Amino acid sequence: MTPNEPTAYTAEETAIIRKRQAGRARVMGIALVGLCILFFFITVVKVGVWG
Amino acid sequence: MTTATRDIILPAEWRDFWALTKPRVMSLVVFTALCGLLAAPGNIHPVIGFTAILCLALGAGACGALNQYFEADIDAKMARTAGRPLPARRMDRAAALNFGIGLAAFSVGIMGVAVNWLCAALLAFSIFFYAIVYTIWLKPNTPQNIVIGGAAGAFPPVIGWAAVTGDVTLLPILLFAIIFLWTPPHFWALALFMKTDYGAAGIPMLPNVKGQRVTRNQIFGYSFPMAATAILPFALGETGLVYGVAAVVLNLVFLALAYRVWKNEATDATAMKPEKQLFAFSILYLFLLFAIFAFDRMVIS
Repeated sequence: MTPNEPTAYTAEETAIIRKRQAGRARVMGIALVGLCILFFFITVVKVGVWG
Repeated sequence: MTTATRDIILPAEWRDFWALTKPRVMSLVVFTALCGLLAAPGNIHPVIGFTAILCLALGAGACGALNQYFEADIDAKMARTAGRPLPARRMDRAAALNFGIGLAAFSVGIMGVAVNWLCAALLAFSIFFYAIVYTIWLKPNTPQNIVIGGAAGAFPPVIGWAAVTGDVTLLPILLFAIIFLWTPPHFWALALFMKTDYGAAGIPMLPNVKGQRVTRNQIFGYSFPMAATAILPFALGETGLVYGVAAVVLNLVFLALAYRVWKNEATDATAMKPEKQLFAFSILYLFLLFAIFAFDRMVIS
């Protein structure tokens, strides 16, 4: 908990937090899927599956 | 963000994390690195080449995040930077630090495993140099901050080159030198018409410490070794005529604009048109010089 973090959020603050968490989760999900695809191709190239 | 009623910082939006990476600076880093990669002799698998550029972009993002973490108080004092996530209190400082360290470790680790460990070492050093040596040590302490600190921004084409060849030869060192010598006239032109902003933040930029005349002399002075270095790849026979002609023309324009800055005596930012023109052209100069360099080298090979 940071010094500025309150012990309880108002309903308005909670709604903002949930919206931002959802936005961050979406972006993180896209990034993770992208990395999975990238790591797959890096592995394929490194082990020389496709010559 | 701070709420209207209470002085608290809510968890940041993803856009604020994106802003923390300084996307515009990142685009120049990606571009120069890509040119270094395309200009290097030999072949690199597109997947590995893409990974190298991605890691460089993430490393540049880490530099931006760490820079903004360390400079949050300074940024709050300058109009140009007051709207950034930390001074605008849209983000907790610890989140920026964690994000910066995480990006740095991730980019260096993936660079080492997927590309090569020379690139990873160069990337790690450039992040350390920018975030620690430049941001913490040089920038608040010496008017030569951007001269030495410019080295951090000069590494990307070297790393791009090393991703292909696995070593660093004369040509990537020349690319490093071009950006290194380009940085002082580029930033000092900005510092001249942003003098008040830097002065308010207490940053010892050259115009604030040594005055505008010395700065204009230095801008003009640095333009000559920069121009000579930019033409050197052609003079040494490492590029074709296309780059040679382009380098001469671009550097003549740069020198002409630097000359106008040198002759200008204006003290008010509104009368600093030559400085603003030089700053704007310097960005175009670097983009064109590197693009034509990469094109020329690809045609030759």
